[in-house]
Amino acid sequence: MADELDFTTADAGASFTYPMQCSALRKNGFVVLKGRPCKIVEMSTSKTGKHGHAKVHLVGIDIFTGKKYEDICPSTHNMDVPNIKRNDYQLIGIQDGYLSLLTESGEVREDLKLPEGDLGKEIEGKFNANEDVQISVISAMNEECAVAIKPCK
Amino acid sequence: MFESSQNVMLKPTESWRETLLDSRVMELFFTVHRKIREDTDMAQDSLQCLAQLASLHGPVFPDEGSQVDYLAHFIEGLLNTINGIEIEDSEAVGISSIISNLITVFPRNILTAIPNELFSSFVNCLAHLTCSFGRSAALEEVLDKDDMVYMEAYDKLLESWLTLVQDDKHFHKGFFTQHAVQVFNSYIQCHLAAPDGTRNLTANGVASREEEEISELQEDDRDQFCDQLASVGMLGRIAAEHCIPLLTSLLEDRVTRLHGQLQRHQQQLLASPASGSIDNKVLDDLYEDIHWLILVTGYLLANDTQGETPLIPPEVMEYSIKHSAEVDINTTLQILGSPGEKASSIPGYNRTDSVIRLLSAILRVSEVESRAIRANLTHLLSPQMGKDIVWFLKRWAKTYLLVDEKLYDQISLPFSTAFGADTEGSQWIVGYLLEKVISNLAVWSSEQDLANDTVQLLVTLVERRERANLVIQCENWWNLAKQFARRSPPLHYLSSSVQRTLMKALVLGGFAHMDTETKQQYWTEVLQPLQQRFLNVINQENFQQICQEEEVKQEITATLEALCGIAEATQIDNVAILFNFLMDFLNNCIGLMEVYKNTPETVNLIIEVFVEVAHKQICYLGEAKAMNLYEACLTLLQVYSKNNLGRQRIDVTAEEDQYQDLLLIMELLTNLLSKEFIDFSDTDEVFRGHEPGQATNRSVSAADVVLYGVNLVLPLMSQDLLKFPSLCNQYYKLITFICEIFPEKIPQLPEDLFKSLMYSLELGMSSMSSEVCQLCLEAVTPLAEQCAKAQETDSTLFLATRHFLKMVFDMLVLQKHNTEMTTAAGEAFYTLVCLHQAEYSELVETLLSTQQDPVIYQRLADAFNKLTASSTPPTLDRKQKMAFLKSLEEFMANVGGLLCVK
Repeated sequence: MADELDFTTADAGASFTYPMQCSALRKNGFVVLKGRPCKIVEMSTSKTGKHGHAKVHLVGIDIFTGKKYEDICPSTHNMDVPNIKRNDYQLIGIQDGYLSLLTESGEVREDLKLPEGDLGKEIEGKFNANEDVQISVISAMNEECAVAIKPCK
Repeated sequence: MFESSQNVMLKPTESWRETLLDSRVMELFFTVHRKIREDTDMAQDSLQCLAQLASLHGPVFPDEGSQVDYLAHFIEGLLNTINGIEIEDSEAVGISSIISNLITVFPRNILTAIPNELFSSFVNCLAHLTCSFGRSAALEEVLDKDDMVYMEAYDKLLESWLTLVQDDKHFHKGFFTQHAVQVFNSYIQCHLAAPDGTRNLTANGVASREEEEISELQEDDRDQFCDQLASVGMLGRIAAEHCIPLLTSLLEDRVTRLHGQLQRHQQQLLASPASGSIDNKVLDDLYEDIHWLILVTGYLLANDTQGETPLIPPEVMEYSIKHSAEVDINTTLQILGSPGEKASSIPGYNRTDSVIRLLSAILRVSEVESRAIRANLTHLLSPQMGKDIVWFLKRWAKTYLLVDEKLYDQISLPFSTAFGADTEGSQWIVGYLLEKVISNLAVWSSEQDLANDTVQLLVTLVERRERANLVIQCENWWNLAKQFARRSPPLHYLSSSVQRTLMKALVLGGFAHMDTETKQQYWTEVLQPLQQRFLNVINQENFQQICQEEEVKQEITATLEALCGIAEATQIDNVAILFNFLMDFLNNCIGLMEVYKNTPETVNLIIEVFVEVAHKQICYLGEAKAMNLYEACLTLLQVYSKNNLGRQRIDVTAEEDQYQDLLLIMELLTNLLSKEFIDFSDTDEVFRGHEPGQATNRSVSAADVVLYGVNLVLPLMSQDLLKFPSLCNQYYKLITFICEIFPEKIPQLPEDLFKSLMYSLELGMSSMSSEVCQLCLEAVTPLAEQCAKAQETDSTLFLATRHFLKMVFDMLVLQKHNTEMTTAAGEAFYTLVCLHQAEYSELVETLLSTQQDPVIYQRLADAFNKLTASSTPPTLDRKQKMAFLKSLEEFMANVGGLLCVK
């Protein structure tokens, strides 16, 4: 019901998400909770009374912001699942809090922010130490973010 | 000292004879209890004493006669104490322990040798107490008490019944029938709603009903109460004449009422579709009644079986045979074959086989459910009842469907006519069950547990060749296979574990008897599309680019899940075909590891395929095939290692399943090692004729793969990770396996690895669970043996084992430990003592020198002398080792508690 009123996701979301029966979701999979792409960190079912029907309780972590979202719905319901993509880029520079990344086709991207927190510090540290590193970037629902770092092969 | 032993049986030495067999002593205990029974704490202690006396056995009795006298005396005392009193809440558990000990410890011939009248009073008292505790347990449930003392007492008494009646050749036939009827009736009564029963009624008859939230972690009644149900089912069989017709009529009555109630709801919905909430109280009561009736019926008609061939219980068989002369077979078949009609509407319904009529009552429940689904009333149905139905049908089918006449001395004619081999009845019922399965999978995909039970029923139908032969004759089966291969709704809504099991069932079905052409066609429908779709996806030129697209990922995931399902279907007679089929995929999967290296859920699933294949197939593989698998696993590990070294994981939620890949790798390595323990292969026996004359040159061995894997896993494990129970257990299982199987490889490990392995063992022995400690002790023994064999007194392993000697010594002598561990600890201890005799003497000396009390000193010194007396000098000789273990047992009994009591 709420989905029908939400014009932005109904329109733009069409190619970014696809529907899935709630019961077929799995922990560590992805789902859209309150309009945000989330990784499912907790999924449990319950029922009201011994002869009740299953309800699914979902706890998700926003894959970009790390914020926690929760939802509960009948297990027969369809939920939106975000299309998630991952890419590895070589790190070639850091400027004004933005990363310079080299794509596989040789282009340079400079539109991704240096993440905050430990990962950001680690990236900066490795870069300043002149280590060759690759940055894993995750993208979903028109958003993108660096999520991991590893040495270049 | 004795952590795990709450209820130790009393087995004193002969020297106690005079004291304990003196009837005044026993009487004293009974008198004490009568005096203090109103004091909750003291009553429990005095009952504990009596329970100990009730377990008296061993050399204290000079002969059977004295045992009979003792028992008779005890029972008299017990009956005098509890007859005519109102039992206090705090006495229930104690009294039931006394009875349970008497029945467990005293042999049947002693029990029956006491005066008849006394024995009858005892059994009457037992029946009376059981029913009374059962009612009180039901009240406890209504009141939702935390401390369920009556439930515990009821459990114990029901278990005592099971012990008592199982060995029935000592009692004349029918001896227990009346008691069984009594206990059975009271159980049913407590579980049915008013007016037939008293469920949810408080002591003053007020109904209580609340709708509580039930989490998925709540165990199903059939598991939570399996022991109770097993006892009640057994009693039901003993009194089959009463209980089977009772269950039938209760069920038939509920079916009629359920049908009526659902019809009323439907009319109400049709009349006013918008009329909000309907009161479901009546429906819920019916569902709960049916729930318990099905559970009891399931336990009455069939046993839980694990691994063994399930047999029709002899009492049920006899009961059916006894009445078969009065039974009209055709009417019986008609009752069975018309689940849509009321049983009582069929002419001559009273002259039918009662067991079949009970089954048909459940089929009638199932039919009402199916019709409600067709009438769009699914939302009114109970998924719990749906689960009960398929659970029962699975249990029934395992035991009764296509009953194998060779397994029985005598077989009931109604049974063999209705569900024997080559009968219309069995073909009909297979068709009916299959239809139920297909309907459930479509309708209940959102109810995980129900879907799971349903697909388990399907597996039961195909796992035995004879039944599978009937299943594959159903058109529905082929439709199901095709539908699943198409990955279209509703089947692809099912959870992944259900889809896996469905795949398993479809593969098992493929090994039914078919002509070559049909078989060809079947595999073309089931397995080929899987392979074709998979190859189509991964062979696309731009696969690298599109691999993250959702449809592509879903396709890959579905294939990997299906592969796990196929591996699960492995049996000895199909492993050749399935292994070859899966091997093709495994090599492709390694390529996928590379492609999906950034997608942990896919990587995990790929490793899982390897885990499953190794788990299910390695034990059947001969040398050449096993090597193929080792090679594939080695490559997998290499790719994994390349992609994971130096990888830093973002730590949003440091949770166990973030390390799923690590867990799976360890599982894989453990599975590969398991071949050293369980090996059914006869050097490619099962493959003979498939690939003749393959040369075997061992290029990769299990040791290579596993040690490579350990090199990989050990650096990734950390003390923090060991806090996760699953990782910890798997890790220790793996290292123990390695120490047991390749002790000679351990000293050759690189220094870092060797150190961390030794540190892990030390940690495991000192600060982990007792299971882990036991594993570590089991690992130490072969390591010490290896040292003894190598005879190098300067190796690092030798030094490490010296440290272990002190640890095990302290554990055995100074610390509290689980008694179950004594054997493992003893074996490790002995081997270590052999290896480090001087150090051992030193440890003993040091310990003795700290004792100030000369009495304790002497007692300890004597005990240590005795301990090693039979094995001086200690050598790694089996006979000596056994002697030592026996002395150790005495040592522990003698001085074990001395030093750890503070």
